[in-house]
This record gives sequence, C-alpha cells and structure tokens, in this order.
Amino acid sequence: MNDESKVIHTYTKDILHPIIKRVKTYLEEEMNIDVFNTSDITCPKNIHLKKNTVMIGTSGSIKLIITLGFDEVLLNKLVEVFMEGEDIGDCDIEEVTNSIACEVTNTIIGNAIDNPVDSSDIYITPPVLIYEAKTLNKYKDSKFAFVTFITKYGEIELTAVGPKEQFENELEFKDQ
Amino acid sequence: MLDVLVVEDSMIMRRNIKKYIASLGHNIIGEAKDANEAFEFCKDHKPSLITMDISMPGMNGIEVVKKIKNINKCFSIIMITSYGKNEMVKSALQAGAQGYILKPVTAKKLYESIGKIYPEYLDCTD
Repeated sequence: MNDESKVIHTYTKDILHPIIKRVKTYLEEEMNIDVFNTSDITCPKNIHLKKNTVMIGTSGSIKLIITLGFDEVLLNKLVEVFMEGEDIGDCDIEEVTNSIACEVTNTIIGNAIDNPVDSSDIYITPPVLIYEAKTLNKYKDSKFAFVTFITKYGEIELTAVGPKEQFENELEFKDQ
Repeated sequence: MLDVLVVEDSMIMRRNIKKYIASLGHNIIGEAKDANEAFEFCKDHKPSLITMDISMPGMNGIEVVKKIKNINKCFSIIMITSYGKNEMVKSALQAGAQGYILKPVTAKKLYESIGKIYPEYLDCTD
C-alpha cells in the first residue's frame, strides 16, 4: 500500500476519533452529563436510526454523512440544560427540542471535524433533522461506522456513512 | 451599553445569545433570522455590535460581512461558528469582522470577545 492509499484508507478513523472524543467532552463538560460507556466502532450492514436523529454532511476532500441519534429522555435533558430552568410554552416544545438537537450536532461535528488527508477545508452542511427515521441499509460500496454512547439519560448513537474505501478494517472497526 | 443586533437562524441560539448579551448589560435592539433581515434592519438602525452566525441560509458569512460593512463600516461584527478552522472565518475577518466565537456560545465567551473590541466594557477586576 503506498502512502497515499494508506491515508485514504485510514481517514475515516482519523475523523471519527475526534468526533467520539468531542461527543464525550461536550456531554460531560458543557452539559454536565456523564458518559458511562462508549462502544467500539463497529461496521454494521444496516442501522436502525433513532426517532430523534440529526444528519450533517461533509464536503471537500472528505465526504461523509454523519448522524447523531438521541434517546428522547437524553434529548429532554439537553433541552433542560439549554433552557437553564426556564419554562417552555407547550406550543414551542417541538421547535425548541428540534432546534437543540440540531445545535448540539452542529457544535459537536463542527468543533471536532478536521482534515487528516490534506490541509484543505472541510465544509459541513447545515444540520437536518430526520423525522421518524427508520433503517439505513448498506448498498454496494457504502459502509457504516457506528458508535454508541451510554449515559444515565439514555444513548446517543453516532453513525458515519461513506464510500467503502474510506474505511480501515484492520484496526478498531469490527464488521458485523 | 452597546446596542446589539443578533443574527442567527437557530431559534434556540438566538434566544440564548440575546439572554447572555442582556446579562452583560447591553441592549438588544433587534434580531434577524437570516442575512436579508439583517440587511433590512441595518438600513434603518445603527447597532454598535452585530453577532452573526457564519453559515445561514442564502448567503455565506463573507458576503454578509461585506454587505453589512457597505451599509455602515462602523458596525462591529462578531461571527459565531462551530468550525474555527474554516477558511470562511479567516476570510470573514479579512472582510472586516472584528472577531469570532467558537460554539458553544457562553456569556463568558461573549464578554471576552466584546471586550477585545470594546475594552471599556471589560471589568477592571479581571
């Protein structure tokens, strides 16, 4: 494997590790929510997305779709922290919750994303909320990387979807 | 006391930034959800400071900074971004923005960023 292809094969891992680290530091340091456990990075054939899932795409020399899925109780806790004890009128609850899910995802991904391939910029799309999301199935040359974070309020699931050649199977990724 | 315009497409961020700025003793004179609303506001008002999300629907941060500076070059602009390494941040600063804040936004970060532009608002005990 020449140097260039080695870089291409490993860069998804190089991108995911800072995001995994930032999910933990964001929850623990900014939101005061302890992360009890972080799973290994796995590569499942399909992903069952959580009901509250936010998607961000990257462009430039790194092309991935990244999602963060939130358990409802955990998302409610994030809302509570963001609102700093202030009451939300009933009519605003859904808008506030969606806005916070998108904001949390944007902050985590934006803070953590870096370009391990070259010095060029990576751009991220605005966050998009996927309503009532169901299942993503792997197709042809796509590949998933999947990580779960467990807190006392429930889980956050991190998924990265990209071309197969961006993934390095010999290290932490475990095919399922 | 500064007169501040908050430009932000995220409802929750708009709310929190307004709250933090008010807690620092400044006056919120307006809010805008996108660049066009911000331009319209700036034509009729004179905010001493504008906080602005660098990526909003319709226009990128560099264009927005240039256009606002064309309306009044004295407006001070603080950009807000989740991605500090972005070339867009550097270009926005070159285009005339006075500073930027990396998300998550806190009252402390706003205080420090405002203090860099307006040192008279820094607490002498700091």
